[in-house]
Amino acid sequence: MANKRNFKYLVFLALFLVLLGIPSYLWNKNSVKTMAGRYNSPMSPIIMIPGSSASANRFDDLVKTINSKYGEHHSLLKLTVHTNDKITYSGTIKAGDTRPFIVVGFQNNNDGYDNIKKQARWFSIAFDQLKQRYRFNNFNAFGHSNGGLIWTYYLEHYFDSNTFDVNQMLTVGSPYNFEEKNSNNRTQMLNDFIKHRDKLPADLAYYSIAGTKLYTDDGIVPLGSVDSGKYIFEGIIKHYTLITLTGDKAQHSDMIANSQFIILFHQYMIGNNKNNPAQTPSKNPR
Amino acid sequence: MNKLFTNKFERSLAKITLKLQQLLFYKIAQKTLFMIFPFVLIGSFLKIIQAVILSKEGFIGTLLPDFEDNWLVNSIIGVTNNLSNLTLGFVSVLAAFGAAKYTAKHFKRDDQLAGLTSMVALLIISYIYSKAQPLSFHNNLLSIRGTLFAILLGMFVGWIFKQTSPEIPHKHLPNFTSNILQRTFISLRSILIVILIAALFSALVNVAYYSHLPDEFMDSLATNYQSNNSGIEFLKISGIALYTIIMSFLGWSGPYSPLDIEKSDPNILDNLYYALNHHTAWGAPHDLTSNSLYHAFATFGGAGSTLALIIAIFLVSRDPDFQTVAKWTMIPSVFNINSGIMTGIPVMFNIVFLIPFIMAPLISMLIAATALSLHLMPPCVYPIPSGTPGPLIAFIGTNGSWQALIFTLIDIVVSVYIYIPFVKIAEKLKKIDNLAIEEGDIDGQ
Repeated sequence: MANKRNFKYLVFLALFLVLLGIPSYLWNKNSVKTMAGRYNSPMSPIIMIPGSSASANRFDDLVKTINSKYGEHHSLLKLTVHTNDKITYSGTIKAGDTRPFIVVGFQNNNDGYDNIKKQARWFSIAFDQLKQRYRFNNFNAFGHSNGGLIWTYYLEHYFDSNTFDVNQMLTVGSPYNFEEKNSNNRTQMLNDFIKHRDKLPADLAYYSIAGTKLYTDDGIVPLGSVDSGKYIFEGIIKHYTLITLTGDKAQHSDMIANSQFIILFHQYMIGNNKNNPAQTPSKNPR
Repeated sequence: MNKLFTNKFERSLAKITLKLQQLLFYKIAQKTLFMIFPFVLIGSFLKIIQAVILSKEGFIGTLLPDFEDNWLVNSIIGVTNNLSNLTLGFVSVLAAFGAAKYTAKHFKRDDQLAGLTSMVALLIISYIYSKAQPLSFHNNLLSIRGTLFAILLGMFVGWIFKQTSPEIPHKHLPNFTSNILQRTFISLRSILIVILIAALFSALVNVAYYSHLPDEFMDSLATNYQSNNSGIEFLKISGIALYTIIMSFLGWSGPYSPLDIEKSDPNILDNLYYALNHHTAWGAPHDLTSNSLYHAFATFGGAGSTLALIIAIFLVSRDPDFQTVAKWTMIPSVFNINSGIMTGIPVMFNIVFLIPFIMAPLISMLIAATALSLHLMPPCVYPIPSGTPGPLIAFIGTNGSWQALIFTLIDIVVSVYIYIPFVKIAEKLKKIDNLAIEEGDIDGQ
């Protein structure tokens, strides 16, 4: 009788499943516990803040260039925070997009330390709404010009690094010492940034890009002012890197269209991230 | 025949099958599947090592400690990738060889050269025109998912040989070289024609794109279209499941892959957040999702619940071939890699198994959907590592709900019972078939 001889295979099958089931059940119990502590969303957005006198539409071309140059399909969501703390949205995040771009712009986009403090508060309102809506637990930060100052102020005063990860930050022409060339003449803002620098997230990797023309500035922001960022970040965060860009389109406002910048942007903001699926081997053949 | 098949349904199914077995396509497909079976079998064991044990997202890989920069482990990963890509990931090329060889033999043409030509033709068609990487191919066309295309291509090549080259003479020339040369020049025209057609085809048609167009469409339907009505949601999921099941029956592919479980479906994310917030899967907002129905209850052993077929074979089969295949493909099937049993029995293109292949998963899903709607068990909401054994998916995905495990067992029993009568029919048919081969219907090579 064939059935009896095969019985041992059935028993083996059942034992094998039980044997596999027990450890994976225990493991899963554990992983659910850690997951419950923090959302394990596959989404890791790139959150961008434009500089002064620019709107949330500032990076439209940049996103278009990235998508066409690298053949990727990142969606673009734009928020504008109004002076009465109300937020308007435009654009959408496509279902399944794990690396969307989110731009946060401000109705009051004026320059000056007082405005930066206000904008950082507005940004924190927008950020809270975003994390409520999209439930991510980590992101990359990008700031153009004053956008980098808003990021720094936000990270020092509003950000909770215990429940959230900022993986990488990239800024372009962020003037930590405003228009001051000489870093010995520290502005009020730079002093404040240095005073609160202990609150910066310790595992942050920060890349600061400075453009230069004739060795000194990018037409608006002096190299020394961007370089002053080192007094804030060096030794506090995991990595602080200053990159100097020169040549065609290295002026303050043009820089985000510079092809060198696009490469750096893609490398640090999109390409090199722990949630990046490109690092795991291809899932084919299924 | 009437002695063998007692009931009416069996008899009509047997009649249809025997009719189909007269078709050239059917004979060739079956022989080709048998030919690629050893490579598929080896490949599926390697796939376990690659996707389940060594991959960080694999079922066993998640249990193991992190070995990111270990030289030895990385070398093993490299070698298993290599071997699994060139066995399981390359079987369609072998199938193209087999199909052309058997077709040419049937028409009494040069079968060796037809087979080789067909292999080259498949590689030409799946060639990627890229300056960056010379000699790279669309791997979907070469893997098990391209089997149907490869068999059709092989038969086409065999047919071209029939049309454009004369029969090979039976008389052999005295020495080896002139023998080979004679064969070459008999078939040269056919070889050139096939290569030219393949080259034109590959240059003009983006095969990989068109072959995946329906999948892309189903994929976007699966993730983008959501309904609040659970009846419609159930119909949508079973529709996509049905498509996936039929496609894998035909050696194609479908949107629901047994190894990767969806993460991007908004309903699934919704469920996960609910469960993480409330520390339980009970009461999650969406009872019916592709995870809670298809992946948890309709993929015991991969598409078509083929693990149930293996159990059915152990329970009732007396056919030594079936038993051997079942033993050998049991372990890969536990990890939802069913390519082995698909080609070994074979289940693929086998009309006898089409009904249980579709019914077992669909009825399991129906039982699960009923249980979920009545809140007898929580939905499967937590992410599951890839290659989690089918019978454990519901249990682990609900973070250890006993109710889910009980319904899994019920579904397995039901699936096995759906398969049992068809295993018996297949066995009886095999007897008739064996007699036919002995009578010299087609010479078994």
